[in-house]
Amino acid sequence: MAKQETGLARTARLLDLVPYLTTHQGIAISELAKTFNTTVKEITDDLNTLWMCGLPGYTPLELIDLEFESGFVSIRNAETLAAPRALDRAEALSIYMGLDLLSAELGDSNSSLVSEIANLQEQLRSQLISAPQVQIEANLNSEFRGLILRAIRRRGWLEITYHSAANDQVTKRQVAPYELSQSGSHEYLQGYCNSAKAIRNFRADRIVDLVEIADQVWTNSEISANDEAIGYQVTVHIASRQVLEVLPQIAANSSTVTIQGYSAQWISRAILSLGGQVEAVNPIEIRAAVHARAMATLENYH
Amino acid sequence: MSRKNERLVNLTIALLATKRYLTKNEIFRNIEGYEGSAEAKERMFERDKDDLRKLGIQIEVGGLDPFFDDEAGYRIRPESYALSLRDLTPTQVTLLSLAAQAWQDAAFTDLSQQALRKLTSIGLDTDTSQLPIMAPKLSGADENLRSALDALTSLTTIEFDYLNIQGVAQKRQLQVYGVQARQSHWYLIGLDTEKSAIRNFRVDRIQGEVTSIGKAQSYEIPPSFEIAELEPAIETPLAVIQVRPGAGYQLRRMATTVETADDWDLLEVPIFDLDFITNLMLWHGEDVIVSSPIQLRTAVISALEELVKIHG
Repeated sequence: MAKQETGLARTARLLDLVPYLTTHQGIAISELAKTFNTTVKEITDDLNTLWMCGLPGYTPLELIDLEFESGFVSIRNAETLAAPRALDRAEALSIYMGLDLLSAELGDSNSSLVSEIANLQEQLRSQLISAPQVQIEANLNSEFRGLILRAIRRRGWLEITYHSAANDQVTKRQVAPYELSQSGSHEYLQGYCNSAKAIRNFRADRIVDLVEIADQVWTNSEISANDEAIGYQVTVHIASRQVLEVLPQIAANSSTVTIQGYSAQWISRAILSLGGQVEAVNPIEIRAAVHARAMATLENYH
Repeated sequence: MSRKNERLVNLTIALLATKRYLTKNEIFRNIEGYEGSAEAKERMFERDKDDLRKLGIQIEVGGLDPFFDDEAGYRIRPESYALSLRDLTPTQVTLLSLAAQAWQDAAFTDLSQQALRKLTSIGLDTDTSQLPIMAPKLSGADENLRSALDALTSLTTIEFDYLNIQGVAQKRQLQVYGVQARQSHWYLIGLDTEKSAIRNFRVDRIQGEVTSIGKAQSYEIPPSFEIAELEPAIETPLAVIQVRPGAGYQLRRMATTVETADDWDLLEVPIFDLDFITNLMLWHGEDVIVSSPIQLRTAVISALEELVKIHG
């Protein structure tokens, strides 16, 4: 996001630099620039501006005293601005929501942390004009995410208990995770699955449990196999919201499309779930499977 | 530009340092940067006040001396200017930092980084020893959620195009009361001003951009409004379904009651959304039979008949 910095954002940074420097005396200019997400030149300009600021009178006695010629910054005589600024409403709300998530996740396991969070939320509430209602549920447990990220860094193996919606089964698999990524509303763990002997995507919210397999590290030779996606041809009869959400590959105005998928189970269930809004065309086995499954289910109702 | 920034910083320092209200004349005389005609200074000061308020700095107006027909004065109270979170323990600082880090989506990074810098400016160490390994993430947060949260903090009505069940976009106006993250989706909850009723909207079903209409502070959130109480209030109907033993893992997690038997288990599942539940019943094929309500049973049967017809 290359946004033009507004004058006000600059003023905010000037005000926020003072308390930050007060508690980080001797910080390198380059590190300061990184912390404030800007360039060394911009930060140097800021320091030169701040150096001209102070209490009315503006003699050396009143001006902020900054030392930064050495490349390391120290600040004196800036007590008036030394306290960090209050969080603005949007910041307070974002932290409030983040705390809500933590609290929901720590839930039963740690009541003392949960009450500390409640205390912090109470303090934040007073900064919001009228109390907005917030209810946050985790997509993927933060503890699981922490373990996954650590395993990716260490090239470690994980044992995950996973609910596959395509097979409607919960199984344990050993996975060498590569990546945790977001696609649309869902987060996916991508990795080499030792049971499938192939690379698989696991939807994060369907991970039921997860443990690290101690001290095992994967190597490239272990995880070479891969299988190919198959193209499934379907005809769209009604492009409803539901259809576009279950099969996002479909464009709003298309009639016949090819969808890439790895699992015949998955595609036939997806078409079944859309109840005739989408028709399976090719391969013929899928078309027959959908037909047979619909017949068998209908049989239940007779 | 830098002259103006300098003046704004100097104005903030002077208004923070003063123990009494400063009049405009005192400000113009003593604070560096106010130049030009009386009118020019006046205009400059009005703009400066607006700018500081936009930064969330509260400028207090007062100091009218009852004995004199005095002019108004200005000051900034240090207690309103400064971060009010006090006496934080290292564990609490860690919790706050984790909460800020949970926002990793682009639309929120500036916001959370700014908050994080303010928190680290307190100069306290963090302490993670009391916490499990955690990498929290509020995922799927986009520009539209950001706009909606800005509207929620400023109480501004918003307008957007929303994809209805038929897949057609319709214009909606909403006074946001709250937000919810549920089953991997963000929802806005509030008053649909056209329908005059509480409605919720899934953020990823919004087409195009959320825009604000009208002024800030244009509504109030009713004190009686509680998201947590919303669902029972609407009284979610229950579907009674039969599920084959061993099948329907997701249904079992959703179920409010499960009665096991030899050939079919009996489950009660809340119907938050009829389309969603119909879709879910069909997904499970012959492993599920819907007993009631009749609308759901009929919807499933006619969907199956349609499937048989077009695939035959």
